[in-house]
Amino acid sequence: MTTLLVAKQYIKKFISKYEVYLKPLLKLVLALTALMMINGKIGYMQRLDNISVVLIVSLMCSFMPMNFIIFVAALFTVLHMYALSLECAVITLVVFLVLFLLYFRFSPKDTIVVLLTPMSFVLGIPYVMPLVMGLVGTPASVVSVGCGVIVSYLINYIADGANTLSAMETEDMATRFRFVIDGFLNNKAMILTIAAFAVTIILVYLIRRLSIDYAWTIAIIAGALADIMILLIGDLIFDTNVSILGLIVGTVFAVLVAKIVEFFAFHVDYSRTESVQFEDDEYYYYVKAVPKITVATPSRTVKKINTLKKRPVSTQARK
Amino acid sequence: MIKEEKVILMTKLASYESGKGKKDINILNYFRGDYIGFQILKSVIAATVSFFAVFAVYVFYNFETLIQDIYKMDLLSYGKTIIILYLCVVGAYGVISYVIYANRYNKAKKNLRVYYANLRKLAGMYADKE
Repeated sequence: MTTLLVAKQYIKKFISKYEVYLKPLLKLVLALTALMMINGKIGYMQRLDNISVVLIVSLMCSFMPMNFIIFVAALFTVLHMYALSLECAVITLVVFLVLFLLYFRFSPKDTIVVLLTPMSFVLGIPYVMPLVMGLVGTPASVVSVGCGVIVSYLINYIADGANTLSAMETEDMATRFRFVIDGFLNNKAMILTIAAFAVTIILVYLIRRLSIDYAWTIAIIAGALADIMILLIGDLIFDTNVSILGLIVGTVFAVLVAKIVEFFAFHVDYSRTESVQFEDDEYYYYVKAVPKITVATPSRTVKKINTLKKRPVSTQARK
Repeated sequence: MIKEEKVILMTKLASYESGKGKKDINILNYFRGDYIGFQILKSVIAATVSFFAVFAVYVFYNFETLIQDIYKMDLLSYGKTIIILYLCVVGAYGVISYVIYANRYNKAKKNLRVYYANLRKLAGMYADKE
């Protein structure tokens, strides 16, 4: 455990030192993964399903604010939907519009979750999101994760129904429109997942704030169990065909990820290194303020025990 | 001579100014009522646009039945229902935005008070020197 803690200190040190370069890199990787996933899942527009386009846009994202990635991802999704059919594009656009206008207006800090949740669905580890957001977020994260779940089910539904939609080419527009909306709104699995994730987030959040020993660990386990229970009970009632094996394996994996997050997030403020410039009457100041690292990493010091005796008394006293 | 205490204080002030302070100062440029009112107005517009977007989808979804029944149904009461629904949505959203933005204004005020206190302290340091 000590080795791990030391490793954590080194990582923190590394992050605070190279933060200027790491942040754009992280954004680049995130944007690249998100866009590749979107292209992989619903790459209907040939022009966008092109690695050079993805690379250019990702590079652009790397030096724009975080929320720009969400905007770009939403734009890509709508354009792909448009290539598939106009109805899908309209429905996706309305969903995004309502999300952006009603929720992002408050510009909460965890808007990126709306992007990360669908990504975790694609990776097959959606159960990570509620546990982790319960640990690091606030109850308001329920809305973010809920929006993420909606977006991901919408994309999934349209991607699965793409063949049916193209087969309905001869039908009129309203019928196709109704087909998409019906399937989207009557998706009991989606509502069940939103409910289960909401309960999990609130439960994890409440327990982790209790002043008891191992509050975070208890919170993770209680959250994971609650998640499984609600999804299984919901499966029995609504017949949503939740794969039990996938649920359990996914949750175990989610617990592991949550433990890792706990290790890095618990009691640690990854406050940022700041560089500021100012001046007074006499000087220009270029100050780099580095947050203090509370637990010092052992700097290797060589202690010479034998030589100590030979030293004159005065040096010892000075020590 | 560079005074360490002064540099630390100035660094704190500068980092606040270039970071969170920018937003806070923007917020406090308004009077409380003006700020909250303006934000609620924006919220109402956002809610209106979203409501009509969803309503348009609803109308298009029920297009056939609506066209069939348009002469049979009581348009006045139908319109009334929609207006009431619209007012409910906008009202609820307005209340939520009021709570959030009132909270934000108070927080900004509190932060800026600390900032001004530090600024006075810095001014005091200059006064001592002279």
